[in-house]
Amino acid sequence: MLATVVSSTLVGVDAVPVSVEVHVANGLPSFSIVGLPDATCREARDRVRAALESSDLTWPMKRITVNLAPGGLPKTGAALDLPVAIGLLVASEQILAAQIEGLGAFGELGLDGSVRPIVGALPLVDAVPAPRVIVPAGDARVTALVAGSRIRPVRRLRDVVDALNFGLPWPDVDMTLPDDPVEPEPDLADVRGQGQARAALEVAAAGGHHLLLVGPPGAGKTMLARRLPGILPDLTHDDALSVTRVHSAAGLRLPPSGLVTRPPFRAPHHNTSMSALVGGGSRSSRPGEISAASGGVLFLDELGEFPPSVLDALRQPLEEGVVRVARSGWTHEHPARVLLVAAMNPCPCGEGGSVGCRCQAPERARYSRRISGPLLDRIDLMVHVDRPSTSALLSVDPGEASWAVAERVAEVRAMSATRGAHSNAEMSDSLLDDVARLDEPATAMVAEALDGGRLSARGLRRLRCVARTIRDLDDGGDGLRETDISAALQLRARPPIGGDHV
Amino acid sequence: MSESKLAALAALPGMSSRRLGQLLDERAPADAWALVSEGKAPAVPQDHRSRWATCLAGVDLDQVAARLAALSCRVTSWHDDDHPPALRNDIDPAPVLFRQGELPDVATPTVGIVGTRRCSGPGQEIAFELGASLSEAGVSVVSGLALGVDGAAHRGAVAAGGVRPVAVVGSGIDVVYPVRHRELWAQVASVGCVCTEAPVGAEPEPWRFPARNRLIAAMSDLVVVVESRAAGGSLLTVDEAVRRGIDVMAVPGSVKNGAADGTNQLLVDGCAPVRSADDVLMALGLATIDSAIRRSGGRPAPSGDAGVVFAAIDDGPTSVDEIVHYSGLELSAVYLALERLMSSGHVVADGVRVRRS
Repeated sequence: MLATVVSSTLVGVDAVPVSVEVHVANGLPSFSIVGLPDATCREARDRVRAALESSDLTWPMKRITVNLAPGGLPKTGAALDLPVAIGLLVASEQILAAQIEGLGAFGELGLDGSVRPIVGALPLVDAVPAPRVIVPAGDARVTALVAGSRIRPVRRLRDVVDALNFGLPWPDVDMTLPDDPVEPEPDLADVRGQGQARAALEVAAAGGHHLLLVGPPGAGKTMLARRLPGILPDLTHDDALSVTRVHSAAGLRLPPSGLVTRPPFRAPHHNTSMSALVGGGSRSSRPGEISAASGGVLFLDELGEFPPSVLDALRQPLEEGVVRVARSGWTHEHPARVLLVAAMNPCPCGEGGSVGCRCQAPERARYSRRISGPLLDRIDLMVHVDRPSTSALLSVDPGEASWAVAERVAEVRAMSATRGAHSNAEMSDSLLDDVARLDEPATAMVAEALDGGRLSARGLRRLRCVARTIRDLDDGGDGLRETDISAALQLRARPPIGGDHV
Repeated sequence: MSESKLAALAALPGMSSRRLGQLLDERAPADAWALVSEGKAPAVPQDHRSRWATCLAGVDLDQVAARLAALSCRVTSWHDDDHPPALRNDIDPAPVLFRQGELPDVATPTVGIVGTRRCSGPGQEIAFELGASLSEAGVSVVSGLALGVDGAAHRGAVAAGGVRPVAVVGSGIDVVYPVRHRELWAQVASVGCVCTEAPVGAEPEPWRFPARNRLIAAMSDLVVVVESRAAGGSLLTVDEAVRRGIDVMAVPGSVKNGAADGTNQLLVDGCAPVRSADDVLMALGLATIDSAIRRSGGRPAPSGDAGVVFAAIDDGPTSVDEIVHYSGLELSAVYLALERLMSSGHVVADGVRVRRS
């Protein structure tokens, strides 16, 4: 007899529908599973068999064939355990076929018959083509975010059989969303001095401009970067869902409420491989760090130590906000709308050519060549972070607290939203012409910078975006003034201490 | 034809400046050509004479002339009026010189700036500043277009756009070495002169560089060593300068900076120290306190906020935070002032800091 249960499988950060067809026929007892299952998926046989037996159900001693359709699509993970088990129960007439009309399912089975939460529950539940979906109780909250009343959470396989065969109620799972414990984010009040870097952080947060912090070791670059998420506003509901979707697919820990509401902060180490950073894999497509940071901050500490090839792979995603990973068999698009914050030393010894720097010209040239011009071009803000002075360190006055900065940032973000842009850094050309007109002195200043070779045509566009953010932070008035342009020019990325060009 | 004949003679296998000197001693290039063609070259072993005769027989002078023209390369011998007098009257003269571009006027004072290829960051900056200031002050900068100090000095001279700089290189005029300096090579040739004793097509073989160093010494009125290691090649230039009685000055370096061991030893040995271009100009008898003031006074002094900010940047590269601290101005006001100071050329970005230009 044949039974079909609908489910879904993960493809990158999205999921696609899968039909699980189970055929039970007379013949020598056997179990085969076809339709490009990966190793985890293939091992479903042992889990399903033990789970059935632990749940007082019968494993049919017949010829069992499981087909995962569409056959050409690779299936990953253990999420298909539960649909295989249900299909098997229907095909062996332990559940009535009529009962699974309009019912989909996914979940991993334990040998004791329990149903375990799985990676990617949020995209998976979206993709199941059925009005009702059986989900693991552990995933109830996160799936409820998008599927609401469609879901039927279960704790063990027996719950499914009881509900379908005997009309018992579906188990009662606590679906009230607990408030996420407020995890204290590092506060800007801890930072002493560093006026320029603080201002740059504020501009970066308000406008979504990428930022590079340059300074000697111990100056507080990492400390500053970790305080950036704290001044970013909460994610909007749409953004929160898409971030949660990616985190779910990447198997990252979700907050107790199931929904990621704060901007993520990811800080991959500099030995991270290219596929781990931008996403990929040979057979399946895993979202990389840049996608995990989407909606939040991607912090690359010791930028100069990252392999140049890995850094250059960031160029396209930074430009487009999505990363397209292509392999011979497939192409996937992952979200990659990050605020990039990078930190580096000005030279290998860290002192940056000032007193005490003992780097030789060739070493410094090699170091500065590691960061390509095109990448620097995409970084709008670059500031020098020096070791704080003794008086600043010993001062008892705390710096301005994060909440106060966050309020100004949120105001600017709201202004961008009113203009119809996601952030000031992503304004379209026509919008830019509309809201970033230069007044006369500002035009003269820009002209001088262009003539002096300190600004390129491409740089001008980004300069206006940054200047707009600076004006928004100041008074939000129309047009751009000399002060806005001068600040934006001074904050613009310049190549770090060069090698041969003195 | 005399230029192509000189070029062909200089390119003979086994030719050296001593042999070329003996060949051209009181002999015009055409006569020397005839002599070698007959197998009668003086002061060389017999097998060389016949080999050279065969070589010259195979030379197409038109082709040589075309090649020289394509490279815009002039060839002069010590018989020519426009051969640098410093090289003609030298104790170890250069009989033939290949050059691209124009040499500075004979009366122009010249200073050789030499140093290690593996210099420190400050060393490179000092070489650049010396090159720029000297060139601006009317001195022709002579150096070797090598990596490190040499290149930085030339860059400074080119950037300042003052008197024609001279680069003496060790390879043929068509063999750019080091390759990384291709652009700089062309710049020096266009605003000044790139010259060499090596024939067209000569590779930068190691033995050519000591010979090149002697030309740098010979063409300079004064030699400044910016940074040199304890046994660096620039000390060979110093030896050549001492042989000729040319003054040598050295830039003091940190005792912990290995790249300055050689220069510090020079100071111990009695060389005069160089703290800035003014020290060099004084040694040349070109500078007085007045001229130093005149050179910095070309621009109007910044006023208002810009003046306050300019005053805060007095001690090497300064970070924006330091400027805010010392000036007491708002960050945005400092940015505005900095932008104006950069436009007017008072201040330049130094990596992520700023400094006076």
